[in-house]
Amino acid sequence: MPFKPGRNVNLYALTWRLPIIFWQFVFFVGPVLFMVAMSFFLVKNYRMTEAFEFVNWSRMLSRGYFWDSYWYTVIIASVSTVCAMCIAFPAAFALAFRASESTRRWAIFLLIIPFFTSYLVRTFSWFVILSESGVVNAMLATIGLGPYTMLNTNFGTLVGYMTLTLPLVVILQTVTMANIDKTLVEAARNLGCSAFRTIWQVIIPLSKTGLIIAAIFCFILSFGDFVAPFYLGGSQEPTLPILILDTTKSGQQWPRAAVVAIMMMLTLFAIAFIGIALAYRKPKGAK
Amino acid sequence: MNTNRALNVILGIYVALIFAFVFAPIIFSMIFSFNSQRFPTIPLGSFTTEWYAKILADPDVWEAALNSLIVSTCTALIATFLGFCTAYSDFRYNFRLKGPYLALILLPPTIPLIIMALAMLAWFSRIGMSGQLYSVIIAHSVLTAPFAMAVIRLRLNQMDPDLESAAWNLGGSEWQTMRHVIIPFCKPAIASALFLTAAVSFDEFAVSWFVSGLNKTLPVIILEIVQGNIDPQVNAIGTFVFLISMTLVVLAQIFFASRQLKSIRT
Amino acid sequence: MSEPLVVFDKVEKKFGSFVAVKQLDFEIREGEFLAIMGPSGCGKTTTLRMLAGLEAPSVGEIRLQGQVMNNVAPHQRDTPLVWQSLALFPFLTARQNVEFGLKMRGVDAAERKERALRWLDKMGILEFADRNISTLSGGQKQRVALARSLVMEPQILLLDEPLSALDAHLVIRMQAVLTDLQRELGITFVYVTHSQSEAFAMADRVIIMGKGEIAQIGTPKDIYRAPANQFVAEFVGRNNILSGRVAALSADSARITTPSGDFTVPTNDVSLTEGHNASFVISADLVHISLAEPESGNRAFCRLISEEFVGSMVTLFLEDRHGQEFKVQMQERELSRFDLHSGDEIWLSWDTASAHVLNET
Repeated sequence: MPFKPGRNVNLYALTWRLPIIFWQFVFFVGPVLFMVAMSFFLVKNYRMTEAFEFVNWSRMLSRGYFWDSYWYTVIIASVSTVCAMCIAFPAAFALAFRASESTRRWAIFLLIIPFFTSYLVRTFSWFVILSESGVVNAMLATIGLGPYTMLNTNFGTLVGYMTLTLPLVVILQTVTMANIDKTLVEAARNLGCSAFRTIWQVIIPLSKTGLIIAAIFCFILSFGDFVAPFYLGGSQEPTLPILILDTTKSGQQWPRAAVVAIMMMLTLFAIAFIGIALAYRKPKGAK
Repeated sequence: MNTNRALNVILGIYVALIFAFVFAPIIFSMIFSFNSQRFPTIPLGSFTTEWYAKILADPDVWEAALNSLIVSTCTALIATFLGFCTAYSDFRYNFRLKGPYLALILLPPTIPLIIMALAMLAWFSRIGMSGQLYSVIIAHSVLTAPFAMAVIRLRLNQMDPDLESAAWNLGGSEWQTMRHVIIPFCKPAIASALFLTAAVSFDEFAVSWFVSGLNKTLPVIILEIVQGNIDPQVNAIGTFVFLISMTLVVLAQIFFASRQLKSIRT
Repeated sequence: MSEPLVVFDKVEKKFGSFVAVKQLDFEIREGEFLAIMGPSGCGKTTTLRMLAGLEAPSVGEIRLQGQVMNNVAPHQRDTPLVWQSLALFPFLTARQNVEFGLKMRGVDAAERKERALRWLDKMGILEFADRNISTLSGGQKQRVALARSLVMEPQILLLDEPLSALDAHLVIRMQAVLTDLQRELGITFVYVTHSQSEAFAMADRVIIMGKGEIAQIGTPKDIYRAPANQFVAEFVGRNNILSGRVAALSADSARITTPSGDFTVPTNDVSLTEGHNASFVISADLVHISLAEPESGNRAFCRLISEEFVGSMVTLFLEDRHGQEFKVQMQERELSRFDLHSGDEIWLSWDTASAHVLNET
């Protein structure tokens, strides 16, 4: 076959294009679609049988404990997102506007490291640090406070979530704000905007897209994490991931776990969709 | 001016606190791994290597370490290959359905691991591939390929778009050009992608736990020990795991950054 | 007579609905230095890329030595290109860059090295053979790029604005290097540029392109003295263009009435009709200046706006009272006799034979 420049379909082009299509269809799209199908299967005598019944759906969605768990997870993931966004903001602001280029690069370099290191061990470390006789309470005792119960509380869960999300949120916020045109910020200051008004009316609107994307990632990570609520929150109120875990690991109730998983995915799609719509919405009055 | 300096100092302290929070669990875990107390607190107990001795004597840990090594190496190779193919296709070609094509590789990391774990477990059981070491490798390749793709795609972005045509113009076929121009150009990014995907795979526990069956990896061993009770062995294994994954991530970043510095100089 | 080295036979190239070039009909002769010149977006680079096989013509044929090249892959052609971006391989040394094409063609290592070093030597950069590309200067990189193409010993060398990234003084040096090389090797150079000075300084023939079409093909002198149409006249830039109406017509000359006055022009081969519109040009270097009104002939009374010096040449920018602009080019020492200042009013005049009537298009 004669070579034609810009030609899209030949052996060479397909060699590079097809592997991922094959791989992801078999090992990504396949599993996800099968999970959806599985949510209609039946379990009889601890064995899963192929069927098309809505019984798993009606069972799960009519149970109070599912909806308790659902709203608890949505709320605590939202609280986690708000906390992470607020805690990260001053740090990201400092790194974006007050730090030199090289400091900023080093900070991001350092913050990438925990993202790729064992979250499990870090959580266990918090477990030890936050326990009744742990490091934090021992330090508080020296100034006559405590001991406080931090494990098996929502506070514990949130500490875990922050461990997971904070580095990423700081990175995303920093990168977003560092890309703002500095002259606009200076112009606002010269026009007499106070520091806080500048942040509120200039910096945040200008970095809106990046901030919303950071928040979406933060929500996804918190929403899907089972380690923090399990080990630090004590799973008194199980979150949805813990529900999936329990349902899967005990009694082969995979179809019901699939129902929970699909509900989680739908929720995340909705959140991501709303977030992205907000992020790219034109500001009021703009042409 | 004075308030400005004060604000800078406050912000500096704040950033330091954030870093302290982020790195505290890593550092404490390392300290505790050498601490004699079973329930570590302040003041610290005496220095000990007891926990390391314990894990080194544990054949399960050795086996898991070997499994982790195999899984992360194979995952790195497969994911980097897939990432490279996709990054190059995206760089070189425009075709219909390119959006869905890219979504195919980029979506997995946005889905919670617990869901991926359930889906993979069910699917692998269905097609008779569950409970094997290669099940973990396959699952991890799906999860980590996007990282490889992103790193290599960024590198291709920095390539002079005429470079490939120049090689054809000098008599190189498309295949020769791939071998003698594209791959050499992407080498640092490929190295970076290998280390990064290995690091992600080395630490992943949710999917591994679900699909590995009896072939446990290190994170799965940790998960099981943690489920029992406080056992400082976890700190010892954890320190080991931290050091490996940090080394991998730092190597990945060095390859990535050194290349960028070079491109700035030219 | 055998067919010329390259023939473009009614070639057209479309990208989607955008027509990049159309009605390309020209030939490239063996051993000539051909420049393709035009403003950016005129299709000159597309033309060159089609010759190298990097784009395929949508319509028409390109023949190289009588063979149709439309479907021949770029790597199966022998048309090395010197890129505007140079496109040197950053991970290879200077010598490895020069060896690249030979390696692709399967030449063995010893011969590759020998030929690469010979060419690096010829280009005067032998001492940098084992240096990394990123450590070389702009001029040195340029020479590596040339050596990389010429080591293939092609019959035809394509150059795509190769000097556009160099400093002005280096451009002049490299122009001399290129013309010497071309004469010495006797191979065909096809040189794409937007720079008139480069094209006119080096080329045997020039193709002027505008909006994807050929506006004129000719020697630099033809194009300079006798632009075929308004586009070329304006693009060449060193022309005065006057437009008016044909008032009277004789066998070999015409009288044209313009707002700035009546002028006599030779009709050449252009067919004019009395009462119709017509334009003509006079090269800036063929216009004379004087303080007193010339007794007869073509003349205009103008005010000096500004002067521009390039080397020993000076260009005067003038305007008459009807807003018609004029340019006059002369040696600086000629001008010094007049002691002119901006705002001064002087007379311009030119021989009838200096004027050239344009084809209306």
